[in-house]
This record gives sequence, C-alpha cells and structure tokens, in this order.
Amino acid sequence: MSNSLCSRTTRASSRREFLEKGGLGFGMLAASYLLEREAAAATPFAPKKPPLPAKAKSVIFLFMHGGPSHLDTFDPKPLLQKLNGEKIPPSFGKVDFQFTQMDAAPLMASPRVFRKRGQSGLEISDLFEHTAQFADDLAVIRSCHHDGFTHVTGQSWMNTGWGRVGRPSLGSWVVYGLGSESEDLPAYLVMLDGGIKQGAPAYGSGFLPAMYQGTVLRTEGSPILNVHRPEEIPAGRQRQMLDLLHTFNGQYAETRREDSDLEARMASYELAFRMQTSVPDLADLSQETPATRALYGLDHTETAEFGTQCLLARRMVERGVRFVQLYSGGNKNGSTGWDAHAQCGENHEIMARKVDQPIAGLLADLKSRGLLDQTLVLWGGDFGRTPFSQGSQGRDHNPYGFSVWLAGGGVKGGQAIGSTDEIGLHAAEDKVHMHDLHATLLTLLGLEHTKLTYFVQGRDFRLTDVGGRNNLAPRLT
Amino acid sequence: MLFCNGKGVLGVLVSWAALAAPPGETARSILERRCLTCHGPARMSGLDLRHIDTIKKGGKRGPAIIPGNAEQSLLYQAVSRSGELKMPPDQPLTAAERTLLGAWIQEGAPWDQAAAGTPEPSWWAFQKVVRPVVPAAPVPNPVDAFVLQALERQGLKAVAPADRRTLVRRVYLDLHGLPPTPAETAEFVTDAAPDAYEKLIDRLLASPRYGERWGRHWLDVVRYADTGGFETDLYYANAWRYRDYVIRSLNDDKPYDRFVQEQVAGDELWPGDLALEGVNEIPPRKLRELEARIGTGLYTIGPTYHEAALHGEQLRYEWLTDAVDTTGQAFLGLTIGCARCHDHKFDPISQVDYHRLMAIFAGSEERQVSVVSKMGEFGYKSAYPSVLLVEEYQNAIGRLETKVRNRATARIKEEFPLEAVQAFDTPAGRRTPAQRESADQIDAALARAGLQENAAGKNFVPQYTPEEREERERLIRELGQAALKARFDPQTATILGRADVIPEVRMTVRGDFHGAGPVVQPGVPLILGGVGDLPADKKRTALALWLTTPDHPLTARVMMNRVWAWHFGRGIVGTPGDFGRQGEPPSHPELLDWLASEFVRQGWSLKKMHRLLLLSNTYRLSGQFDAGNARTDPDNRYFWRMNRRRLDAEQLRDAVLAVAGTLNPKMGGRPVILPLTDEEKSGLWAPHQWPTSLDPAEHHRRSVYVYVKRSFPYPMFSMFDAPESSVSCPRRDATTVAPQALALLNSRFMLQQAGALAQRLEKQHPDDSNARVNALWQLALSRSPSPAEMDQALSFLTTTGVGSGQTSPLAQLCVVVLNMNEFLYVE
Repeated sequence: MSNSLCSRTTRASSRREFLEKGGLGFGMLAASYLLEREAAAATPFAPKKPPLPAKAKSVIFLFMHGGPSHLDTFDPKPLLQKLNGEKIPPSFGKVDFQFTQMDAAPLMASPRVFRKRGQSGLEISDLFEHTAQFADDLAVIRSCHHDGFTHVTGQSWMNTGWGRVGRPSLGSWVVYGLGSESEDLPAYLVMLDGGIKQGAPAYGSGFLPAMYQGTVLRTEGSPILNVHRPEEIPAGRQRQMLDLLHTFNGQYAETRREDSDLEARMASYELAFRMQTSVPDLADLSQETPATRALYGLDHTETAEFGTQCLLARRMVERGVRFVQLYSGGNKNGSTGWDAHAQCGENHEIMARKVDQPIAGLLADLKSRGLLDQTLVLWGGDFGRTPFSQGSQGRDHNPYGFSVWLAGGGVKGGQAIGSTDEIGLHAAEDKVHMHDLHATLLTLLGLEHTKLTYFVQGRDFRLTDVGGRNNLAPRLT
Repeated sequence: MLFCNGKGVLGVLVSWAALAAPPGETARSILERRCLTCHGPARMSGLDLRHIDTIKKGGKRGPAIIPGNAEQSLLYQAVSRSGELKMPPDQPLTAAERTLLGAWIQEGAPWDQAAAGTPEPSWWAFQKVVRPVVPAAPVPNPVDAFVLQALERQGLKAVAPADRRTLVRRVYLDLHGLPPTPAETAEFVTDAAPDAYEKLIDRLLASPRYGERWGRHWLDVVRYADTGGFETDLYYANAWRYRDYVIRSLNDDKPYDRFVQEQVAGDELWPGDLALEGVNEIPPRKLRELEARIGTGLYTIGPTYHEAALHGEQLRYEWLTDAVDTTGQAFLGLTIGCARCHDHKFDPISQVDYHRLMAIFAGSEERQVSVVSKMGEFGYKSAYPSVLLVEEYQNAIGRLETKVRNRATARIKEEFPLEAVQAFDTPAGRRTPAQRESADQIDAALARAGLQENAAGKNFVPQYTPEEREERERLIRELGQAALKARFDPQTATILGRADVIPEVRMTVRGDFHGAGPVVQPGVPLILGGVGDLPADKKRTALALWLTTPDHPLTARVMMNRVWAWHFGRGIVGTPGDFGRQGEPPSHPELLDWLASEFVRQGWSLKKMHRLLLLSNTYRLSGQFDAGNARTDPDNRYFWRMNRRRLDAEQLRDAVLAVAGTLNPKMGGRPVILPLTDEEKSGLWAPHQWPTSLDPAEHHRRSVYVYVKRSFPYPMFSMFDAPESSVSCPRRDATTVAPQALALLNSRFMLQQAGALAQRLEKQHPDDSNARVNALWQLALSRSPSPAEMDQALSFLTTTGVGSGQTSPLAQLCVVVLNMNEFLYVE
C-alpha cells in the first residue's frame, strides 16, 4: 500500500489493476464484484445525474431566523394601511397565535414605503432597497403557509417539511438525491450568526444516514469543527502521521481486501487532510478584490457579518458545494433576530440593514460570474408576522400567510405568485404549502419529489410527504 | 332455582334473555367484552375464555362450564357471585348479561366457529411461535445446528473460527463496549482450560459494565433523551433514573417479561410507598417496587411538543402518539405510527387499533414521587427556611435593580413634554390617536435603552451608584452563603400514574387532534388477538400482561432478533424495528422461533440467551472473506462469517478513554454534561441549557451517562451516527465521512487522550521505546506489533526532520494508533 497522498480515483484504479492481475488469486468475477461494491461504498457523495432536466445545480438558502414580516417587505397591503388601529373585521377568520388574542389587538399599518421596481414593477418595500434592484430576478411567493406558529415548528416546516423534530432537512435530501460536485469540501454547509432555536435538527439528516447532515462553517476561528490542525503538530509531521496510518492500515487491509468500508475510511482521511487546506482556502477572503468585498458590504460594520457569509456562499457554490444555508438572526448576545414582538419597525430596519446589501451583492456577484443561472437562491424564514400589533408596536408570528422569494436557478424573475388576503393574515389565492415549495425546489434541481424517497419505519418517506401538488416549477421557469 | 330441567322454563328464560340483551349481544360477545382482559391471551389462573375448547377445559379451578348445567358451572357461579369466586372482581355483570350467559350454558353452550372474532393471521410474525425441532447436526449448540442447516441449503461453508485474541476483543467490545486490558487479553489467550471461553463469558456477563453497554442498546430502542426537544427543550430532571433503571435491570438479569411489565405498568402492578417500617432504612421490598414504578419513566421522556402547550388536548394527543408509537416499536417491533392517520397500508393494524392503544394510555400522566422516605422528606421540609432565605436575597437583588430601572425610566421620560408623559401613562386602550403617537415615542426611547421589550433584544445595563453596587455585591455574597445551606425539594422520580380525569379518546380524521369521531375503548390490535375491550381500570396492566404472555407472537421474537442483531451485526430479521409486511422476512425463521421459545423457557433471561449465542461456533467465526460464499451471499445473511463492524459513537469514546487509562468507572446519577469547544457551541441556542459539569473527573465517565439533549446532541456522537432520539432507533448506521477523520485527528479530546496515553506508556516504561510501542499495541489492539510495525513505529518516533512540534512523538504515535482501522473496527 502506497504511503503517498492518493486520491480516491487513483487508489481505485491501482486497486483494479492489482486485483485484475490476480495478485490475490481472486477470480475475475470476484474482482469485478468487489470493485463494483467498492465504488458504491467509497464514494457516497459521487455526483448523481438528476432524473429530470435540472435548472439549478446548487442552492443558497438565506434563512431569516425569527420570522420576517411579509407585510413590511414583500407583500404590500393597502387595506391594512387604511385600517390602522382598528380591530380585525371578523370576516378574516379566527386563528391561534402564540402570544396574541387576535380579536383584542388592533391592526397595525406598515411604516414602510412600497414601490414598483424594475421593468416588472414588482412591489418591494424600502427595507430592501439594494435587493430591490434585482426585482426582475426575484419570484416572490406571497401565499406560503404552514401551521407551525412557534419558532421550532415553523423552522421545522421550512427546513424539513414537517412540524416536529426528526425529519431530514431539505439540504440532506438534496445531497442524498444529487451527491456532491466537490472533491474536497462537504456537500452541505451551514453558516450561523448565533444559536438557532431549532438547533442541530435544522440541518440534521433525520432518518437519512448521518453523512447527509449539514456541516456548520463558522466565520470566526476554526471554520469547520476540527478542521484546524492542532498547533502542536506541524503540517509536515501530520503528513508523516497520516503516511504511517496508511502504512498500518494497508497492512491490516491486506487480508481484508474485500471490505470497501476499510478502503473508504482510508480515503476519508485523505479527504480530511485536503479539507485542512481547502476549507481555510475557501474561508480566506483576502483573495477577493476590494471591489468584491465592498459589493458585499464587508467594509461596513453592520453588513460585514452577513456579507462575509454571502461571499463565502458564493465561494462555496463556485467550488461545487451543493447546498448552502445562511442564517441571519441567530442568538448572540441576546439578539432576538427577526422575531419582532416589539418595535417591529425598528427591529426590521436593524435586521434588514444587516442583510440587504449583502444579498444584493450576492445576486450581483453570482450574476456577473455566470453562476446565478445554476444557483437557486431562496429567501425566507420561520413564518411571516401578523397584521395586528402585539405589545409595543410589535407583530406576532404568522404561519398562515407569508412570503418567500426565489432567484436564479432558471427562475423567471419579476413576478409575484399567489396572494394573501387583504390584510395579509391568511394565504388566499394559489396557496403554497411547504410541501409545494419543497417540491418546486427539488424539481428545479432535476429531482422528482415523489420519487426521492427513503425507506424507514416501515414505509417510504418523502420530503414532501403526500403533498407537493402545487408544484410551481413549470410556472417559474 | 332458576334453571331446572324443565324445557319450558328454559325456553322462557332464553327468550327473555334475548329480549333484554342489546341487539347482537351473545354469550361470546359478553365474554369478549368483560372477561378477556384477564382470561384472554393473558390466561389468568390458566383460564382462556376465547375458545369453546379452552372454556370447557377451564383453568386451575377446573372446567369453567358444564354444558347444559348452568348452576353447576363455575363460570356462572362466578358471574352471579353465588359462590366463593366473584367475577369480574370490580364491576359485576348486569342481570341481563348474567342471564344470557346462563341460558347459553343451559342450552349446551353452542359455539359458532365461523363467527370467530380473530381471523388466523396469515403473516408469519403474527402467528404463534411453534418451537421447531432442532435439526440433526454434529454440533451441540442448537444455534449452530440451525445456522449450519441454512448454510448447507445455500451451498455455503462457514469460514474458520477466530483466533483467541480476536475473540477476546470481540467479546469485550460486544458485552462491555470496552476493549480488554492487556492482562485480560493474556488471561484468556493463555488459559489452557477447556472451559476458558465459558468462564470468560460468565465473567463478562457478571460485570456491571455489561449493563452499561447493553443498556445503551435498549436506550436506542426507547428513544431515550434527557430533554424534551423543540424550542424550550425542557430538561427532564429525572430521566437519568430511568436510564439507571435500565442499566440495573440488565445487570440484575431481570426477566424480560418483568422488565416489560414494569415499563408499561409498574405503577399499577407494584404500587407502594416508602414508609419506614420501624427501621431507619426503606425496606428492600419497597425499593424493588419503587424500581418497578421507575420503569414507567419510559413514557415520560419522549419529545414534548412545545407548541402543543397552547392546547391541553393537543398536548395530550401528542403524548399519546408518542406512547403508542414507542410501545409499538419497542415491544412489538411494529411501525404502527402510520395508523394514527389512516389504516396501515401494509399491515393489518387499523386506525381503530391505533386509537384503542391510545385509549389504554389515556388517563395516565406523569407524576413525581419522592425517592426518600417520609423521614427524609421531613429533613427537606425542616430545612426549607434556608430555601426561603435564598428567595429573599433574590428578591432583594431584584428590588435594587428595579429601583435603578425606575430611575433610568424617569430620566428618559423627563426628556419629553408633560403631555407626552401623560399620554404614556394613560392605559393603551384609552389613548387618543394623538396621545398614541407621543406615547409611541416614549415607548421607542425606552426600548432603545433596553428598558422594555425591544427590536434588537437589547438588555438594560443598570448604572449603580457606588453604594448600590456595594449593597448588591453584599446581597449576592449573602445569597451564596444561604444557597450553600439550602436543601431544595426532596429527590423525586418521574413515573407514570393515574390522572384525576380520564379523557375519552375519539377517532380522528387524518391524525388531527380535534377528534370528532366516535369514542374508542381501550384494546390491543385485533390481528394480535385483541378481541375485547380492556377494563377502564388498570388498562396498562392488561396491556403489560398481554405483551408478556408466553405465546405472544411478537414480544419474544422481536427481542431475540434484537439481541441477535446486536451480537452479530445483522438481525435474523434484517429490520429489527419492523416485523410487519414491509420488513424483511427472516433469514432463519426456525432459528428465530426456536430462540423465542427458548427465551421464554429460560424464564426470559437475557443473560442465559447471551450465553447461548456467544458460546455458539457461529459467534466464534472469524471475519475472514470467502469469494465463493460472497458470490451466493454477499451480505452474509446466512452468517458464514462474522461481520466486521465499526465501533459506534459510545464504544469509540469509551475505548479511547479506557486505552488512555483515564476512564472514570463511576456508575449512574445525573447526566454528565461535557464541556463544548467554542466551535461546537456555535449552534447552541441557549447556552444556559448546557450547564457543563464542573468536576473534571466527570468528563471521563462512560458515554452512556453523557447528557442527551434533543435539540443539540453531543457533536462527536452525532458525527458517529448516534441516534437522533425523537423516535425509536432499531438499528444504527455506520457512515464514513471526512469530519470523523478530522475529529479523530484534530479534536482536543483526542489530543488530550493521546497525551494521557503517552504519559501512561512513559510511566510504565521510563526509557524503553520498544517496550512502549509494544505496550501501546497491547493496550489499543490487544496484540504485539509485527516486526514491520515495530520498525515503522520506532522510526516514526525518531524522525525529527520536519520538527515534531509541541506534542511528543509518542503522543503523535498514539493518535495514529487510535485512528487505525484495526482500532476502529471489531472483527
């Protein structure tokens, strides 16, 4: 067994040669049988050809943690402006909210100004002035809904298509379906700006094998858990350690040549070794020009953090990472994120200022590099917020009607799909459940949402359960 | 004399009974509804009232009926409460029911076979276990006889047995989850006695390390966690008592039927108190009964759906769902969760069956019971004033902070005109539109200062005067002093008990908890013999007794298959959590049935079954590959060799600690909350929910004691495929990904342990590199290094070309060895 740094492919081919020459006295049949099994086992992340024509190859999911108000961002409601301070007319129906008795709370107009943007005239509020420059690239879905009116259930619906814990996340399904394009980076990366309420299950693999779980990449310190070689061990020394490990493992494998697991594990050490270089390289933003850094707002305190995440996201998809998820609004130093139970106006101003320019920078940059066509960008959060006020000019959670938007990945921009009722309480026309949204995403990636299944607990499970009938993909592209 | 021999009277009675009885009521339906809970599958007193043959045969007291003579029939005497025996014990039959039964006996007890309630199930797993004949084979162990027969049928040939060193390592990791020490390895390898291996197995089964390892297996099955998941991720203060109960039960070799009964209905079957009986210690009998009740903790550690707290009904429904799903998975090996919303597509478990199971658990709820005696409770109660003192200091500190807040609020309000302040002080509902605007301005200013709920989650930072600061610090010191003396509430266990209100369970539409359908009575699935409703009282007792009837088609089979799978790396049924039609059929149906029947015959003793399996030649096979066999049976379904397995997360961490010599063998108690690195912490929502154990010795305890937080599983464990613990995990994956390699090469944990291991070696062999290398191999791999390995290791230790850095070359070698496939895999 060679001590040299060896990639999965060179190793496999030398093994094929070795086996075919009959070095171990195996017959040809045994040799080819073994190699087949090995190929499947050693490269679980090998890119798989999607069954349908794919519009997008990778996804960047911008998650506004806490639940951004659709009423102050992407879903203008003239009637709400008129009914400011009044009780909700009973015709809008009664539903449960986490903190508010809806019949006691007055309606609250949006303090924002909505304007028609771009050629399409898509209406977007002044919270997203930068992003609005790309109105003609955005497809806003204004009729999203689910029934999870607390954060974890809302986040679970959005991330896993189920209101309870335990299901695989969207990213896990995508990587399970499509594999990875990157040889030396994880296929599914997550960036957080603080703790998230759903916790690790937000990017967990649920009942899918653990290898499909998202890997957290941090923008400070060691980017990925354990990816920094310990200071006490110099790089050259670590190489010697790995070479020694390969020597020992090679001797052990000599009488166990059939076991592709052993081979795969040896290969995983080489990938790990490469990650020690490739991940810091990915995270090294000094390679970017001042103009690019400025585009993402890295030179302003407010935008630097999310800008860094967005810039990293571009570098990830550039390197073949399949699924990237970014969070704005995690808990750090007591921040409530987008969860504007009080002073919604001010909260959203603060939060939007942090993300608006970075998002616009990301769209611009992806576009100029020709990556936007193959990268699907999704913006959304736990849920939307209520048209009535809560406490001191806040808004409560509203899962019954809210907006997300899509850009890139072959999506035709400048359009709004579906609508909420006249005050933005319920999704009204062309309702889009999370299963529909997920079905749409999978279709854009070339996957059939009804056929992407995993057998567990006695049956086949889907990301979209038994839903996904309102698949928007045909209309979006 | 109601029943004389005159036909006329009888005829009158029969027709009267028929008139009085509800339409469709028959003797049989009465027996099913009122008697079968105890005299159905559970066969209390040996009496089975499900079939006419067994009714005639009767139980311990003799025949239940004498056809044609109701007066002389025990059954009739019992239901009419005329003799010594009065049945049913709590709720007598109605007069109409009694009369109808009597008339039926008098008529000669006609029995319509066609009307049989339970069709004989066609699926193998729902049929009763019939003990197969052990095939004739030149091997003494019946396990081998069955395996050999299957191998021959498939044209396969078992490989050679494993050598002793491989075997000792396998058995230790299997039964203890720890590698053998060099001394333990040597003891077995050099033991020339013919029963050396049997002695080894007996020794290992007698060690408490066994319960720690096999307890973890059971904890997988019952979705164990220390918190409730979701946003609040409630900390279950007593979950560990259930965990310790599992470990103790396995170590005590508690019969599995009793183990099941305790978990399902320990509170009903073994009620009791902890009152002292004239001694200063709780009588052991009472502690055993308490232990049995703690078993029901199983139903108090599931995910708690935070959102459901808004609706009592939904909260209850979610809990019932978890209870039924977990019961189905853990004890029946069935995935019945689908039936919550619709009839099971593949298995004959109907939605009604599902709700009948729910109705068994309706009316049960968690209860805190003291685990100390009344005397002990008095101790806590008498120390209660010190708790009040802690509270007093907390309040005093709070008042000081309020004072400072009020000052800051007043200062901000002073900056606004009087009218604005008046507007602000007017209750929100009574403000004029103009007032609303000025009040909003003050609101916003206060929010900016963090003085009320605000946009950015900003918190008010109190500005204390020097005197206030000094006062506050004094109060905090005093609080600390008081806290040192305080004794909080008495220690408790969380168990299941009977609720004051027993809610009815209604059929639901697609699992929506707003149940509007008909009321469902408690019962077990029809296909498994659940013909009658269970009594409203002690429903879980009936379930527990039913589950543990000796000829239950699933209980023993499912458990034996699990035990087999945990020993051999693959079950006889490849889907240990699914014995339904969607599961894999058994590779060795006769072997499984024989094991199930033997399990019951051996008094449901797990240790006896371990012994049987481990002493088989099949278990002792090597892991050697055979290309010929592989062509026919690539997945080794017929066990022609031993499966090679990667250590699971807990085995891996424990093995590293053991080899490094740092393992703290302390058993039981509150979960160990391991320190997290900054990297690991980055995804944690609320850091205060991770109250790290401060005693460093705790950090080296066995993994089964590590905190299982549902919303934030310990990162190293989830990386190595530990279950996610929201539902039962019947079988773990063993994935291979680069982050695992990074963890084993670079993590603080590994470096610390490698350092400790290097020190251990240096201490053992102060100046002999060869001896150190040899000892390292013995410790980590249970063998000596080959000459080539020795050369390679020694040359690594002396290579300095690139600089060895701050860790010693020996510690680096330790990292390498702890990363070897030979260390990470069990042969």
